[in-house]
Amino acid sequence: MSNSTLTPPGGAGSTAVSGRDGPGRGRGRVLPPPVTSQETVLIVVIALLWLVLSLATPAFFTAGSIVPLLVATTPIALIGIGMTIVIITGGIDVSVGSIVMVASVITAQTMVDTGLPLVLAVPLSIAVGGVLGLVNGVLIAYGRVHAIIITFGTLNLFRFVGLQIFGSSTVEGIPRTLNFFGRGDAGRTLGIPHAFLITIVIAALAWYYLRHTAGGRHFYAVGGDANAARLAGVAVRARVLSAYVVTGLLAGLAACFVLAQGTSSLAANVGSGLELAVIAAVVIGGTSITGGRGSVLGTVLGALLVQTVATGVTQLGWPTQLSSLFVGVFIIVAVGADLLRRRTRSDS
Amino acid sequence: MTTSTTPPPAPAPEKPQPGAATDRPESLPGRLLRVLLTQRIALLVLLLAVVLITMTTLSGNNYLSAPYDSGYLAATLINAVPLVLLGLAELLVITSGRGGIDLSVGAIVSLTGMVFGFAYGEWGWSLFPALVLAVAFGALCGALNGVLVAYLGFPALITTLATYYAFSSLALVINDQQPINAEPIQELYSTARAVEVPFLPDAVPAVPLGVFTYLIPAIVVIWLVMARTTYGRKLYAIGTNDVAAEWTGINVRRTRFLAYVGAGALSGLVAVYTVAQFASARPDAGVAGNGMALPAITIAVLGGVAITGGIGRVAGVVLATLLIVWLNAGILLAVPGNAGTQFQLFALGFVLVFAALLNGFANRRYGGTS
Repeated sequence: MSNSTLTPPGGAGSTAVSGRDGPGRGRGRVLPPPVTSQETVLIVVIALLWLVLSLATPAFFTAGSIVPLLVATTPIALIGIGMTIVIITGGIDVSVGSIVMVASVITAQTMVDTGLPLVLAVPLSIAVGGVLGLVNGVLIAYGRVHAIIITFGTLNLFRFVGLQIFGSSTVEGIPRTLNFFGRGDAGRTLGIPHAFLITIVIAALAWYYLRHTAGGRHFYAVGGDANAARLAGVAVRARVLSAYVVTGLLAGLAACFVLAQGTSSLAANVGSGLELAVIAAVVIGGTSITGGRGSVLGTVLGALLVQTVATGVTQLGWPTQLSSLFVGVFIIVAVGADLLRRRTRSDS
Repeated sequence: MTTSTTPPPAPAPEKPQPGAATDRPESLPGRLLRVLLTQRIALLVLLLAVVLITMTTLSGNNYLSAPYDSGYLAATLINAVPLVLLGLAELLVITSGRGGIDLSVGAIVSLTGMVFGFAYGEWGWSLFPALVLAVAFGALCGALNGVLVAYLGFPALITTLATYYAFSSLALVINDQQPINAEPIQELYSTARAVEVPFLPDAVPAVPLGVFTYLIPAIVVIWLVMARTTYGRKLYAIGTNDVAAEWTGINVRRTRFLAYVGAGALSGLVAVYTVAQFASARPDAGVAGNGMALPAITIAVLGGVAITGGIGRVAGVVLATLLIVWLNAGILLAVPGNAGTQFQLFALGFVLVFAALLNGFANRRYGGTS
């Protein structure tokens, strides 16, 4: 079913995309088109979902429903930007949920203890995330061990650190310092939530950097063939290291968003399972898990799709857990479409 | 670059060496180091000995909240049963190569547990057909992974992430998030109780029954399959180099497909065990907290299964499980309460990263581990 709907854009896209396989091939086009066929399909799917949902439940297409949806998308999309870079280099980071947990508990506890202002709380959270990302990056880049093993290990280690700081099971009485990123009126300008705005700006910067600068293209080179990249003069280890640091920094910022969206108490299970949602968003966005291909735009759309499904399922009154089933199906369809496109490309 | 990274891992393996040197000739420390670094089994045995000796010493000096003796060790084996089975499931899948991994085993445990709960608790099936149903249903879930990965060429990590979502969602929805606690299931708890080993009632402490009904049969079967059948040789072959395997006439797709089916069947078996252990079919049994897949993958990697495929042994998985289970048991006594559970996370993470770095180091220095 999905294949038949995907074929026309895939067919149209594949001619434009054919230059991607090698600079010397096709029309001399090195870059993929600004909006790939998978992203076009995603935009159509999201638009259709929004249309269906607003027909099914009149409450869906109102500011009271769309704004929380956009805000809830931001942690996944934001970390997804970093995860996209990591996966483009051929790696993966399953420890981001634990990074969010550590960063949010340290920030929350400091705010409770010292009444830290916003301008210090955000850098603190980002710094904590960056340090943990650095741990991942150093172990992966210099330990030369597969990223999934290292980050499975640091997932447990970071969670241990977070639980040690938690002490008791929750942090209580968190001040509303971070309301600037929240769902309420303080978190919006002209109706647009700040958290969403920040995410879009960072995504746009990352999109431009990855697409149009030499440094950005190096990440693709590392993921395409690390040895060839090294021989071409790319600092492979530095690139790999920085991908995990960036992911850590973004996870630290995402922790602020998570705190701002939560209540005044923080439970120890914060961030648990987030890594899978982020990886799902990245993959649905068309980034190849084997590395070398992917875009930030797709990831943001993927995150939006995942969150739309979650919101839609809730609003339709279906069991909330059903949304995971749809996420699973979307991953299979997205990867299947990608495989199909690659197969038709290599045939031609 | 290599020289600058060599020193840090080097002192680490030497630390436990004095313990080993007492029962081995000291004349060849270099050879000993090589064996420890390249033979994962030797390293695991040494680490296991270190853990047991340390904990027993602590226990002898009354540092622990309860005695760390053979009775306690035997009782904690109940935690080893699901870990070993799922570790073996990951062994099958990871060995099959091409990025093989199965994130969905915990979700299969949840979903199959619910199916078993319906059959045994609600539909009044007797135990044996319900058990067969559970294993078959687990195999069916694994077959879905297998078709996608082996026949359609989906990346395993993403496929099993997707099926993880799908299966865990279905498990929660199927009975409206309610556990099944019907009478037969509560009585099933008796299969998880401790029994005395026949013939040697006094010499050996009481061991949980699950060790005999699940653990040992599964270990024997998987060991036979991996080490004594042509299927096992084919699995190692496709994991090492699937193009070469294809050219030698091996049906690569079918072999890889069957690895995922086997992993699913083992998960189905774990589902029954988990239902018995908790006396209840819980819809989140395999995915609560960090879930069951992460510890299982950790165990497999710690046991020397190479994430790139083609390398891995049953003995490594079993020893790695014993190491983690007995280390965790000791930690619970040394650091009582909630903090103990937290230190278990630390131990798991630390041991995994340590083993992985050691693997990488041994690969560079000796060109491969076994």
